[in-house]
Amino acid sequence: MTSGGFFTSEEASQGLTGSIAGVASTKEAAPKPIRVTIDPAVCGQSLPDESILADAAGHLANVIVTVAGVKSGAPAETIVSNEKCAFVPRVSTMRPGGALKMTSKDPMLHTMHAAAPDGRAFFNISIPMPNVTLSRPIDKAGLATLSCSTHTWMRGYLLVTDERSVVTGKDGKFQIDGVPPGTYDLRIWHEALKAPPAKVVVKTGETAAVELTLAR
Amino acid sequence: MRKWLEPFSRPHEGKPERISRHSAECQPVARQRNVRTALAAALWLAITIPGSAQTPAIPKTIPEMWGAWCARCHGQDGTGKVSEPTVTVEPLDFSDCRIASAEPDADWEVAITHGGSAVGLSSQMPAFGDVLTADQVQGFVRHLRGFCSERNWPSGNFNLPRPIFTEKAFPENEFILLPVAAHEKNRPSAYTVRAIYERRIGRRAQIEAVLPMERVYVATLDDPEVGVGDVELGLKYALTPRSDRYLLSAGFDFVFPTGAEARLVGGFPAVYEPYLAIGTVVGGTYLQGQFKVEIPSTDSFRTRETIYNAYVGRDTSVFPNTWTVGLELNGENRELWLTPQIRKGLTRTGALGGAFGVRVPLTDRNEHSIAFVGYLLWEYLEPVFSRR
Repeated sequence: MTSGGFFTSEEASQGLTGSIAGVASTKEAAPKPIRVTIDPAVCGQSLPDESILADAAGHLANVIVTVAGVKSGAPAETIVSNEKCAFVPRVSTMRPGGALKMTSKDPMLHTMHAAAPDGRAFFNISIPMPNVTLSRPIDKAGLATLSCSTHTWMRGYLLVTDERSVVTGKDGKFQIDGVPPGTYDLRIWHEALKAPPAKVVVKTGETAAVELTLAR
Repeated sequence: MRKWLEPFSRPHEGKPERISRHSAECQPVARQRNVRTALAAALWLAITIPGSAQTPAIPKTIPEMWGAWCARCHGQDGTGKVSEPTVTVEPLDFSDCRIASAEPDADWEVAITHGGSAVGLSSQMPAFGDVLTADQVQGFVRHLRGFCSERNWPSGNFNLPRPIFTEKAFPENEFILLPVAAHEKNRPSAYTVRAIYERRIGRRAQIEAVLPMERVYVATLDDPEVGVGDVELGLKYALTPRSDRYLLSAGFDFVFPTGAEARLVGGFPAVYEPYLAIGTVVGGTYLQGQFKVEIPSTDSFRTRETIYNAYVGRDTSVFPNTWTVGLELNGENRELWLTPQIRKGLTRTGALGGAFGVRVPLTDRNEHSIAFVGYLLWEYLEPVFSRR
């Protein structure tokens, strides 16, 4: 577990922190495309199933990497857009008490149904037209699942946490700066794949490299 | 642009008076939303390329919005049956008049504004309150009520919170337990619990059966009499189902003197109890009244009584589990009681409710003392708990 303290501005200003950088990858094959059953004029006839989104080299996007025990870092609000019948971004993080802002670029009805892990709805609001931005607070920490009542394939995930978390990009890469020196567990979350926590040693002024491999 | 904005700013034609639990709380928010929505619409127009033939048109009127948004789950015809269902909980069938007519506008407005979970329905019904004006929400309520094509279903706007003693004018499907604990002066306490079963028949009628259990003192005996009280059978019929101002109903109860008094006196001639009941809403305040005459059959030991009840009440929120604060005036011949009371929906759907009140005598205070009264109510055709 962590041996360092929490991130403070004093440590940061004095350059007493280090970084963690890495890449997530997988050998799992991409799922089959999704057959669109409604609104093909906007959504297309089929859509890629982004539940496993990896490039040709297997670099895996949408993995949440959390530095266990290190507070803060996630933005106080996050914005999720409905674009061509998919949530963009599909995976994001936010601090408890922050606001989830929701918008759409699609000229038809979407709904943003945010549910707690036990299935109870935080809210379900309609976004029936493009370029309106609606906002709802989420106070409870945990993983919120986002879905759309009218486009059943749409999935999104919002990790509400007060720990430092980042989401890997399309190249599978992530970087976490300003981490106080110490030994940490990195918790790995992905909607379809798994990996055990990775131990990492952070030293002042250095970047600790991590390679994560996820599998079913 | 003007055309696009029109539905967001056009005042409602023939808008009925808002008559139920909602107006004061909702409208200021709705006005803000009106502005917000208009701005959003303007922004959208400013930055969007005119739609191609393939792009869905932005709906302008309530029927168009219904077709573009609501019909995906509720169907163009409001039945809730669609060829490609996207929700796992099938929506209510609005073409079924029992469903479309039974509840007040406010309940539907809450469901549209805050989403299904706000009224204990499915959370798959999203909230539209951020993007619709109050007028538009009311337009949708009228639209969904329009799926019921039959006439003479009394408006759910007169399905008012049940007072403790005053008979509701609206026909109901309810089971009620109504206890009364009376602490009379110079006499031991008496207790009764009336079990009331109400069943709606067709559009306008309701049958009712009352089985009371009682523990009462009779003047000639030292010990209390415990057992069945006076059993009642009743029929109620809505006289003004097409009025949008009030609901007037006529009823007739047959009371069989099976209670302690009758058992001691002997004989079981019935008492006939014709009554009128009325319910309306004025500025969000519920007004209900009942006038009843108890006419004993010729060979009965009973005397003729005149009963009159009046109720005034208000909700504290727009949701079905709201608190309702009420005051009842209860009269029997020249005797009067006042019954302040509170009522609450006990689940989010409002299918369970409870009330508590204190009946205070205004006349003959040497004879009468206060009574604690209340009820537990179950609308047995409604879901008690929320649907996911």
